[in-house]
Amino acid sequence: MNKQKLERLASNSDNMNDAERIVYNVIHSKQNMGIWMADIKRETTLPKSMIKKSIKMLQTKGEIKEVVNIKNKSKKHYMAAGFEPADEITGGSWYSEGKLDQEYIFSLRQVCLNYVSRNVVANRDGILEFINQGGYFSGTTTQEIDQILGNLVLDDKIIEVKSTGYGDYEKFPVGRICYRCKSKGGVNNGEGKIGAMASIPCGVCPRINLCSPDSFISPQTCELYQKWLDF
Amino acid sequence: MVSQYGFKFAIHLITNHFGKIVAKVCETLFRKGPLSLGEIIRSTELTPEQVKNSLLVLVQHNCVQAYVPADQCTIAFPPLFSNFFMFAIEIILFSVNVVRGEDGSMATVEYLALFDNIIHRLRFPKFLEIAKHQLDDECEKVLDGLLRDGRLTLKQMVERAVQGKENPGAIEAVVRESFHKLLKAHYIERCPAPEPVVSTLIKAESAPRKRGSKMAKKFEAPETIEQRVLEAAVPGEAIRFAVTAYTLGNADREAKSDDSSMVNDGDNSGKFIVILCESLIYVTKFYCTHISSMILIFLHFFTWIQGGIANEGSILWRANFEEFIRHLRHKLLVENERKRLDDGAATILSAILDVTKTVEKKVKIEKSAPLSLDSIFTEVTKTEHGRTMTIDRVRASLVQLGCPQRNFDDSYSIDLKSIVEMARNEEVESIVLKRFGSDAYRIFRLLSKSNCFLETDKIAESALVDKKETPRLLYKLWKDNYLYMEKLVVTAAKQSRFMLWKVNKPLLWEYVLDEMYHAALNLSLRLAFEQEKDEDLLHVPADKLVPADKSSEANALQKRYRRLRDVLFLMGSSLMKLDDALMLFHDF
Repeated sequence: MNKQKLERLASNSDNMNDAERIVYNVIHSKQNMGIWMADIKRETTLPKSMIKKSIKMLQTKGEIKEVVNIKNKSKKHYMAAGFEPADEITGGSWYSEGKLDQEYIFSLRQVCLNYVSRNVVANRDGILEFINQGGYFSGTTTQEIDQILGNLVLDDKIIEVKSTGYGDYEKFPVGRICYRCKSKGGVNNGEGKIGAMASIPCGVCPRINLCSPDSFISPQTCELYQKWLDF
Repeated sequence: MVSQYGFKFAIHLITNHFGKIVAKVCETLFRKGPLSLGEIIRSTELTPEQVKNSLLVLVQHNCVQAYVPADQCTIAFPPLFSNFFMFAIEIILFSVNVVRGEDGSMATVEYLALFDNIIHRLRFPKFLEIAKHQLDDECEKVLDGLLRDGRLTLKQMVERAVQGKENPGAIEAVVRESFHKLLKAHYIERCPAPEPVVSTLIKAESAPRKRGSKMAKKFEAPETIEQRVLEAAVPGEAIRFAVTAYTLGNADREAKSDDSSMVNDGDNSGKFIVILCESLIYVTKFYCTHISSMILIFLHFFTWIQGGIANEGSILWRANFEEFIRHLRHKLLVENERKRLDDGAATILSAILDVTKTVEKKVKIEKSAPLSLDSIFTEVTKTEHGRTMTIDRVRASLVQLGCPQRNFDDSYSIDLKSIVEMARNEEVESIVLKRFGSDAYRIFRLLSKSNCFLETDKIAESALVDKKETPRLLYKLWKDNYLYMEKLVVTAAKQSRFMLWKVNKPLLWEYVLDEMYHAALNLSLRLAFEQEKDEDLLHVPADKLVPADKSSEANALQKRYRRLRDVLFLMGSSLMKLDDALMLFHDF
């Protein structure tokens, strides 16, 4: 929505009473960050009942809307109708109705991982071009792909390397950042190696600090050991 | 500084190998630090006989080192070498257990428990495996004797091997040959000085720092008592792996031997001058006025002179744990790079480490000794896998190994410390993944890689973890000591509080190491419990476990036996794998 239209809306107070006008102006001044009830009360010094009534009327008239604040879903957050909530309020492009869209993220990750695995070595631009060729994920931005690739690196599924210009890297200029699968088996094979401590019951035990031979939790009575040794 | 469970695990090992009384003495030394004989007797409330015998066992098996604090006396015990006569003198002093100080006051011998050597007892099977594969089966047998008995003379090694066997002459020859092979590889060494004099005072800064100096002084942790005692006790490099030329009945063999580590006639005079100089420096350093100390110094030289005639029966030898740990460290470095890069990089690193190991002054070196590209290439092409490599291939692998630039003198050094750190990171990340789940794993890796404070929301965005879930996971990691947290309060128009999170690696590694010792102790206790539970099975004759009849009773017995066998194998191998992780965090 353009600036002039927004300004028109802000000054369009013909169908508002004084209290509604005051409340609306405060909400409008917060633009795409919005404001919640307690802050409106603090800034307007109007009684709470009057603010509630004004908000209800403004919502009915379509002048303001309620948005979900990702940082505090229980608090009602209000915004002027003409604004789109900022990323700080919604959580960003990965959030939908205040929740992280896990399914979407997982699907996009798999597409990127499959592409890297098939091509042995890939760079961000190649992946982005492939994803935006059409279909469900078209419209994905560079920033979003960077986040997904960063996420895959953190999950140790792929590693970030610099092109040497030789062998598998000959398609990419020397020094260009590329990605390759972590395990030689690619996407489906080669599960990450489990460490020595993680492969025994004590490594996963949340009560290890309470465990001792003479206490209630002991290696002799441990249920995790019992399961582990249950051949 | 050894952790709580490190001590508990060490005591557990001593209890298993030597019994509760010896373990009680060892535990007292761990709890209270170095103590004299009288102090140990008072603390343990054992009889003097029990304490003395326990200390003798612990010293024999290299788990305790005696020493004399230098600030208590001025008597010098130059660590020339350990032999039977010095040992006998020390036994006499041990019984009296005092030496007189300059002012006539009683300076007592103190005993220090050696944590590292006790934990090494867990890895004796690995040391034997190294000797078997690097050398041969006979070397493994000789080493086995040394590990079982703690310290032996060559004569005792021979007697041990020929006992009850036919053809003792041939066996003796094999034992001597194995001994020399082990010595050449530095897998065995002369035993340390029985009671070196050690300064226990912390050194003050030698020169005042210049005001406004831009060169920040690198912090170095002060030397511990254990480090000083071991440094003082260990014989000089010239004699640590040396055998004199005059071993009984084998002068010809020694003279003909091409073993470069052995002293031959030509080297003897050189070594005499070295030893003489060392002794003079030591004596002047610790100016002694007492006749008793002069007698002792005479005896040192006397025994050195006559030692060549009878040293086979007098020089004590023991396994050199340091060399085995160095070997295991190199193995870990090579295998890690093989997994991370490829076989070529592993071959090159292995060649570099092989050629530079003789110049390594200690195990935990941060960088490999500098080598020119030509030297590296020469060593690589000597190996089976490196024979076909070109110099460009070697250069490219050196870049992959993290050595893109040469040193100022055109040499290459590999950053070994970073390879060890990567391995430690992987081990800890594996624990986080298993214990806290994949979201926490991503968060932990983000913080570990960034190596700085990050705010909660930033973490949620970068790790793509739900913003409501992130604080809960961070709190869990923090509560279990995997993260460090600080609160930041910003006062602007409105007061805002931020939580900042970081992985503090040195602290975290200490904590993880303690958890690993705890886990190793638990594994050992559970192993003993399982053995005890089915102890009767271990005594059942083998033929009863595979009976002809297929009755249900026989089947149940077989099933129980198979279970016990699988359980013992699983736990034993898990303990060995966990021990690799203990070395990664403590010894490498």
